[in-house]
Amino acid sequence: MNSFWNRFSRNKSAVLGLFILGLVVFMASIAGLIYPDDPFLYSRFPLSGPGVNGFLLGSDSIGRDVASGIAHGAKTSLLIGLIATLAAVFIGVIFGAFAGYYGGLVDDVLMRITEVFQTIPSFVFAILLVAIMKPSIESVVIAITVVSWPAVARLVRGEFLALKNREFVQACHTLGMGDVRIMMAEILPNCLSPIIVIGSLMVATAILIESGLAFLGLGDPNVMSWGFQISDGRSMLRVAWWICTFPGIAILITVLAINLVGEGLNDALNPRLRERN
Amino acid sequence: MNRSSKILRYVAKRLIQGIPIILAIVVMNFFLLNLAEGDAVDVLAGEAGSATPEYMEEMRKKFGLDKPLPVQLAVYLKNVVQLDLGRSHRHDMPVTELIVDRLWPTLLLMTSTIMLAVGFGILLGLFAAINLNTWKDAMISVFALITYATPLFWVGLMMIILFSIKNDWFPTSGMENSAAFYEGFDRVKDIAHHLVLPTITLSLFYLALYTRMMRASMLEQYGQDYVITARAKGLTERRITFVHVLRNALLPVVTMAGVQVGALIGGSVIVESVFAWPGLGMLAFESLFARDLNLLLGIFLLSSVLVVAVNLVVDIIYCFLDPRIEVN
Amino acid sequence: MKLSNFMSTVMMTAAIAFGGAAALAQSAGGSLVFLVQPEPPTMAGYVSTSGPIGLLGPKIYDGLFDYDNDGKMVPVLAESVDVSEDGKTVTFNLRKGVTWHDGKPFTSADVQFTIMEVLKKVHPRGPNSFKEVNSIDTPDAHTAVFNLGNPAPYMLRALSAYESPMVPKHLLEGQDIKSAKLANNPVGTGPFKFTEWKKGQYIRLDKNESYWKEGRPYIDRIVGRFIPDASTRAAAMEKGEVLYAAYNAVSNVEAVRLNKEKDNISVTTDGYSMINPMALIEFNTKEGPFTNAVVRRAISTAIDRQYMIDTIFFGYGNPATSALSSNFAATGLHAEMPHYPATGDIAAANQMLDDAGYKKDSDGVRMKAMFDLIPYGEDWKRGGQYIQQVLGEIGIDVELRYEDVPTWLKRVYHNYDFDMNLNYFYQLSDPVLGVHRHYGTNMIRKGTHFVNSSRYSNAGLDALLGAGMKEPNAENRSAIYMEIQKILARDMPVVNLFELEFLTVYNTKLKGAYGSSMGAYSSFADAYLD
Repeated sequence: MNSFWNRFSRNKSAVLGLFILGLVVFMASIAGLIYPDDPFLYSRFPLSGPGVNGFLLGSDSIGRDVASGIAHGAKTSLLIGLIATLAAVFIGVIFGAFAGYYGGLVDDVLMRITEVFQTIPSFVFAILLVAIMKPSIESVVIAITVVSWPAVARLVRGEFLALKNREFVQACHTLGMGDVRIMMAEILPNCLSPIIVIGSLMVATAILIESGLAFLGLGDPNVMSWGFQISDGRSMLRVAWWICTFPGIAILITVLAINLVGEGLNDALNPRLRERN
Repeated sequence: MNRSSKILRYVAKRLIQGIPIILAIVVMNFFLLNLAEGDAVDVLAGEAGSATPEYMEEMRKKFGLDKPLPVQLAVYLKNVVQLDLGRSHRHDMPVTELIVDRLWPTLLLMTSTIMLAVGFGILLGLFAAINLNTWKDAMISVFALITYATPLFWVGLMMIILFSIKNDWFPTSGMENSAAFYEGFDRVKDIAHHLVLPTITLSLFYLALYTRMMRASMLEQYGQDYVITARAKGLTERRITFVHVLRNALLPVVTMAGVQVGALIGGSVIVESVFAWPGLGMLAFESLFARDLNLLLGIFLLSSVLVVAVNLVVDIIYCFLDPRIEVN
Repeated sequence: MKLSNFMSTVMMTAAIAFGGAAALAQSAGGSLVFLVQPEPPTMAGYVSTSGPIGLLGPKIYDGLFDYDNDGKMVPVLAESVDVSEDGKTVTFNLRKGVTWHDGKPFTSADVQFTIMEVLKKVHPRGPNSFKEVNSIDTPDAHTAVFNLGNPAPYMLRALSAYESPMVPKHLLEGQDIKSAKLANNPVGTGPFKFTEWKKGQYIRLDKNESYWKEGRPYIDRIVGRFIPDASTRAAAMEKGEVLYAAYNAVSNVEAVRLNKEKDNISVTTDGYSMINPMALIEFNTKEGPFTNAVVRRAISTAIDRQYMIDTIFFGYGNPATSALSSNFAATGLHAEMPHYPATGDIAAANQMLDDAGYKKDSDGVRMKAMFDLIPYGEDWKRGGQYIQQVLGEIGIDVELRYEDVPTWLKRVYHNYDFDMNLNYFYQLSDPVLGVHRHYGTNMIRKGTHFVNSSRYSNAGLDALLGAGMKEPNAENRSAIYMEIQKILARDMPVVNLFELEFLTVYNTKLKGAYGSSMGAYSSFADAYLD
């Protein structure tokens, strides 16, 4: 663990990313304390600029506090990213593990299913899923999961293919361990690094997809999220730039931070990629 | 068995494997879409202002929407086998005609985007790899990440404000000047002019991917034995980089670009929406909300066929470029 | 090509574009590019009153009459109309020498066919407008005599090119009218001929050289452009790429800005008096939390209508004061009613609910409800979120639901699976045409959109609506509608929020396009580019 942290911390930008990400998580967790009111609460001061009428980052067209929205929205955006990623990784690992481990017909069937999902234009497919399930946080998470898992499945399959004939796996067979146990307890831990890397990047992508869906009017109207704020404010970009610019910056910074952390993880977990030898 | 007949067998196998995938996509989307409330008739009637239930039933009958789902699916599949994608109930036109109309603007936008993104990505990635772990490397990776992380529509709107309104360099949107209706070479220039902003916007999104990939690919090659050999032979770093490493590093990047072209056939709903570009993405988006099932299924079908085809072509090219790769 | 070369090409292109558009006043052509939002499904204005079709249809098809800004009838295909003493025989004297775009002459047979076979049968509102028309006689090629069962004064308000376009008999007869080729290849008598439809881009119409009105149209070409994104539409307007945008194609916030910042861009609310749109909430009066009229009245009392107008629609609109729009005041059909405070009264609303015995629980919640929102964009979502907050203040815990159009239509008008629904209706030029459908028992029609989804049924009201439809005397009619408004203010199956004011944003280069009360749904025969 120590050596991992040493390798990770050698990458200054990754540390910076981790720090920013920590700030975002902190902001999300104390949103209710600094802004106890409903972020949807309107006021009599619409379209106040940043710093005007006591709105740190301004207010929107019905006088809602943009800063409060960003703080509350952080939780939503992070949760969407996290849950969708966990679900995608879970499905992807199962598909990939079975396909790679068993090979043959199982591999063929599972990989064909994966290809089906990879072949459909993913953003349009996400839109379709959200529209059919009605726009809500749950449907957005499901849609993001559905379009994200195939990449994990392919990756995990590749790792399993490479690892399943290694000596330690053979040894497990001789010890009479069950297949599922070998897969999950022996092989999987050995391919965690690439999964962690791809997963970290997926969180960022999920946040971007959420904002894209919201841009097209497919957000949950009951839940404050950065995507909602942007879709609400974009038609007023010329009149009140702050409504959608600040949440846009929040997305930018968060996605950037997650990516930096992801790269740092990549470097720390796969050191051979980093150094010239 | 010799190599070329091996490749032929491989192609045949892949084609056969592609068929169930495409079939599965059609069937899955067919049922998914039918899970949604409402149909094309509801939308048409809603837009029309009002229509009696009897009238709507009559229209459903005409469109064949009154039949049980499995029957509708069977009819659809039968038509598809005969290369007939059916009619769009909303537009009252053959689906094929509607799709072909939108296909070439889509291809235009997508190929120019990929070319721009790959070109710049390769340059930036190369530059970053040469200056590994210096501030230049860091700057490039941050720049690429920023372009990736900025929401697309925000970039698009900013492009319009900066380069169309504040500076009168490019038109705001559309594919052609609809006041002038140019012909011949003027039309080509006009379309190219309209293409600039959407292409830049969309390529910024993909730039990060190629930059990062190119950089990683370069580093990977630097670690290969032949580089050590070359160094031992006393070749200059410059020569090693540009003659040997670069050439090999390009391969995976170009492959990725090929695969992306396939995936991009579906269009980009957001960029098409912001720039009013008449691509397949917007068509799919609109047909979803109009429950124009035949049209949407047609778009899904076409884009998946293209993805399968492009992937295959890329793999084959890859085989020829790199004889070490086994076909199996 | 080097960038500088490319840029100079660009400049040249732009120069050509602008040079070509320069025109002499009122005479020499030019192209009018305007916004059509969204792209229409077809151009069959005779089977659909869909907005974007209305923007294009009346340029291609003429009506019998148009209406000027004072509501006066302006002869178009009919030169005059005579109504008999008993109001049951209406004779139209048709214009001579009018031809369809394909060269065939326009005659009374076309009028007869259009009304009897097309509008009465497949048009969404035609069966209402021409309900009383039993038959049409055509004594000669230029006279059409409508034989009515009862007097129908409102019919003469429904003769515009948008509401009742005249269509060619020779291209429709003997066909299934709903699927005829004419839908995508329109042939009318109007000032512009259909040329080309580039899906996803534009519809192009060119000047009808043999238009019946001498010297018209002035403009050579009309192009309707489709731009899906609202911000881009505003940008295209700002840049002068498009010259005209009606029905809020440019959002209010941008319209206000452009009007202020740009000398050559103006804004008008004229041209919508025949449309008369009203924002409202429909309630499910049969099931769920809103079966009691007290709750509905409390909601009407709580909402700050002026606030919604000011913040969401940037000042355009008027608070509703009754079930009928104040635009009907001119004909004496409007009166202010109780429970319609302009600025909202939370305390009074709370009091009403307290008095009716709806207790707040420990969280301050009296009841829970689902609130469906019309899926027509951010304005309505914002409106719903505002109302959600207000209802929270009177103890009604509301969850919002924003689905896509087909799902929403099915839910509200077919499954009746809703509690309250944010929506807007066109009240049109007469309550008979636009308002009756909301309240009559005969308008509870499962599966028919935009009718009585509240399933409100009141025999007394039905009788009054029937009387209001037939009453020719203005004073008596006014009394009937007064009674109707009182009943509706008490029962409130629908709470009217505000009279929407749609905006038309236009480049001042475009002149002569504002003379019709049909606004954007008019022919633009007199429009010209300065």
